Amino acid sequence: MSQVVAILISTVVLGSIYGLVAIGMTLIYGTLRILDMSQGSMVMIGSYVAWGMLVVGNYNPVLALVAAFVATFALGTFTQLVSVQPLMGRRNELDFEMVTFITTFAAAIVFSNVALQVFGPFQKNVPPLIAGGVTIAGQNLSYQSITMALTSILLMGALGLFLSRTRWGLAIRAVAQDLDAARSMGVPVGQLYPLTMGLASALAGIGGVFLGAQFFASPTAGDLPLLEALIVVIFGGLGSLSGTLYAAYAIGLIQSIAIVAIGETWTLPILYGVILLVLIFRPYGLKGNPSEVRL
Amino acid sequence: MSETGVLLEVRGLWAGYGDSIVVRDLDLVVEVGKTVVMIGPNGHGKTTFLRAVSGLIAPSRGEVWFGGERVDGRKPEAIARKGLVHVMQGDGLFSEMTVEENLLMGAFPSSPWKRRQRALDRVWELFPQLTERRGQRARTLSGGERRLVGLGRGLMREDARLLMIDEPSLGLAPVMIDVVYGAIREIRERLGTTILLVEENFTHVGGVADVVHVVEMGGIVRSGSLEELSSDRTVVETYLGSL
Amino acid sequence: MIDARVGRVRKLGGTTWAAIATLIVLVALFPFVESNQYILNVMVTAFITLVLNTAWNFVLGVAGVWNFGMLAIYAIGSYSAGLLMLHTGLPTPLAILLGGVAAGGISVLLAFPTLRLFGIYTSLLTFSFAQVIQFVIVNDPKGLTGGSFGFPTVPGLFSGLGSLQQIRAFYWTVLAIVIAATFGVWWIRSSRLGIALRTVRDAPAYAAARGVSPIKYRMLAFGISGFIAGIAGALYLTYFQSVTASIMGLTPMSIDVTMLVIGGLGTIAGPLVGTALLTVIQEMLIDHPGIELTILGVVLLVIVVFVPGGLVGLVSRIRRRVTNWVGEEEVPATPDADTGSPPETSG
Repeated sequence: MSQVVAILISTVVLGSIYGLVAIGMTLIYGTLRILDMSQGSMVMIGSYVAWGMLVVGNYNPVLALVAAFVATFALGTFTQLVSVQPLMGRRNELDFEMVTFITTFAAAIVFSNVALQVFGPFQKNVPPLIAGGVTIAGQNLSYQSITMALTSILLMGALGLFLSRTRWGLAIRAVAQDLDAARSMGVPVGQLYPLTMGLASALAGIGGVFLGAQFFASPTAGDLPLLEALIVVIFGGLGSLSGTLYAAYAIGLIQSIAIVAIGETWTLPILYGVILLVLIFRPYGLKGNPSEVRL
Repeated sequence: MSETGVLLEVRGLWAGYGDSIVVRDLDLVVEVGKTVVMIGPNGHGKTTFLRAVSGLIAPSRGEVWFGGERVDGRKPEAIARKGLVHVMQGDGLFSEMTVEENLLMGAFPSSPWKRRQRALDRVWELFPQLTERRGQRARTLSGGERRLVGLGRGLMREDARLLMIDEPSLGLAPVMIDVVYGAIREIRERLGTTILLVEENFTHVGGVADVVHVVEMGGIVRSGSLEELSSDRTVVETYLGSL
Repeated sequence: MIDARVGRVRKLGGTTWAAIATLIVLVALFPFVESNQYILNVMVTAFITLVLNTAWNFVLGVAGVWNFGMLAIYAIGSYSAGLLMLHTGLPTPLAILLGGVAAGGISVLLAFPTLRLFGIYTSLLTFSFAQVIQFVIVNDPKGLTGGSFGFPTVPGLFSGLGSLQQIRAFYWTVLAIVIAATFGVWWIRSSRLGIALRTVRDAPAYAAARGVSPIKYRMLAFGISGFIAGIAGALYLTYFQSVTASIMGLTPMSIDVTMLVIGGLGTIAGPLVGTALLTVIQEMLIDHPGIELTILGVVLLVIVVFVPGGLVGLVSRIRRRVTNWVGEEEVPATPDADTGSPPETSG
């Protein structure tokens, strides 16, 4: 019984944070048709902002979240302008997805090495945003985890509202579905693309604040979240927002079961095995677009 | 804002995709308040022409003047914001968005966005059959309904100055074609919008066309009123349309 | 069989052959002129990287399959050669060869799940594969790999010799393998196999219509590149007499991908140019660790955005332009002028 509770709690916590980081990648892929490899860097930068605000500056955790949002939004926009926008007009002459995979990867290299220069190789410990915890059915649950899950769910809900209710949110979805039609409605894609990437990066940045508090901030703190987000977006099907959400919790569940059954160390290879099976039998993921998968 | 005179003027336009140029040296004038119809067989450059005018493809030569401003080479979003509304072939609907969301996208530029509720009410009034579909995703609609959403989306711009419609009858059942043309007639008469319409034949355009141009091999070969052209035997023989 | 779309295969002129031969002789004689072990050491390391990059370039540039799991294959070659040396007492050259075979075999297996995927999914899958292999090596429960402390010391290839002699012997061995791999890939590229691979890459529908099986050719491409990369990994192991999982991961991958992209993906001289250039840059920045990678990232970005064909593509474009301008009939022979742009996998 207590194991079931443990698995359920861990599924919600892990699934929510995975969803928060991965949904940005999905948003970017759907809109810009690029796989943003700098998304992990935004998690890493979010962790450092958390460290700077909470440890160095001794500010309020809410302020840390706001600061992380603003900083990663700006950096995501910047990354788009530098590493993707110059290639936008040349979609036909080059293999756009491959090239942007490499350029956003290059941006990620720069980010983590600048972090290495500035903060050094050693990890910085970040205190939990809220100390303490409760015991539910014999399972310890920290307030930090609860806050992380709730904030992630709240932010994903807010994203959903933004995408279905606001002018720019609708425009992001419109561009993802039919670029030409969206442009002929007057949507300025030159501004919309950086905005989208900034928004997605900001979500990852918020995720970084929580992950930093859960673990620590370091120049490579974004590598594992990036890998997990990649697994989630493949599993969900690239470009599908609802698929990403399902996949995030499914991956959270698989990982939670694996942790309880055989321990934390081997969860990543297990997830990878799951992905392998998914790709062999459903190459477009849970809710991806089958027509996009060729060969 | 009442305008008179020339709204759209195209001079010596050449356009196409890559090496295949399908619009060759095309000249066209659309006057304010008029409905201009371009008739021509498939593959003779009508769609390409509209796409070049709205900026979706860059013309390789020639000039496009819209409302006294030169717009060729501009981005499609910039041209759209000036009041040029392009209802694309195949509707160009956002298939995973609801009917209402699709319509709202039509009012994207900031000034119509402020009056989107009024524009929305106007579309519901004009196309009452869409009201019960408002929360449905566009991909679940029938072809005729999609066409109406496409037109309705064009009407969401209260500041629209030119409505370009690409083959509104394409792929529709005769009953639906009548509904669609009824709507176009209504737009023309009630709203007085300037319209540039493209069709494959004369069949449906009776009663809406002020000026008709016949397009062949990417250029205009005949122009005149519908009556003049339909009394011209060679034209009628070529474009089988019955009136 | 040869389709014009796929790109011409050029014959090299006599002067070019002479230049290549001179270059090889000069590089081969270099250890007699230079006896500074540090410099020779840097060159041997660069040669090993060049073997790996040649293999990677083959699958990424020539076959156009977005395989980002190459470093895992490289590591597999390294560790399996090491395990053979430690536990079976096989002679070192044979262990190196078998390391290559093991890596090639795993690489063929990796080809299977990628078969039904298109571009970006392939890169995700192979990238995750590499991450997991690294993870398994570091967390190996049986202690076979030495975990994060590195592999136990293995016998070297030329252990009987003095240290300078050892480096020289290694230098020539690896140089020979570099030459063999480069010419091998060159030959394959213009052979039926290479043409089939490029047809599948550039015109998949056409390839299918001609009965060219993408499955067979992709497996061959993975097998060949895996074998060469495995040999490179095994060479690394025997040269340094040990190996750690840090030969893979994001940092080495960034460096290798940068080398390939800067040189020019899919070109024969690309890996050579990229590896040489980046080795020099790395050595220049050796006193500023960390800055090096930041600069690499920026260089990678700039090259991809502004010089998408890499330096080799740029040079051949300029040469073509100059030739056109001079107005000569004959286009000067360059081995690699035909693939100036990154591969296209979409159909």
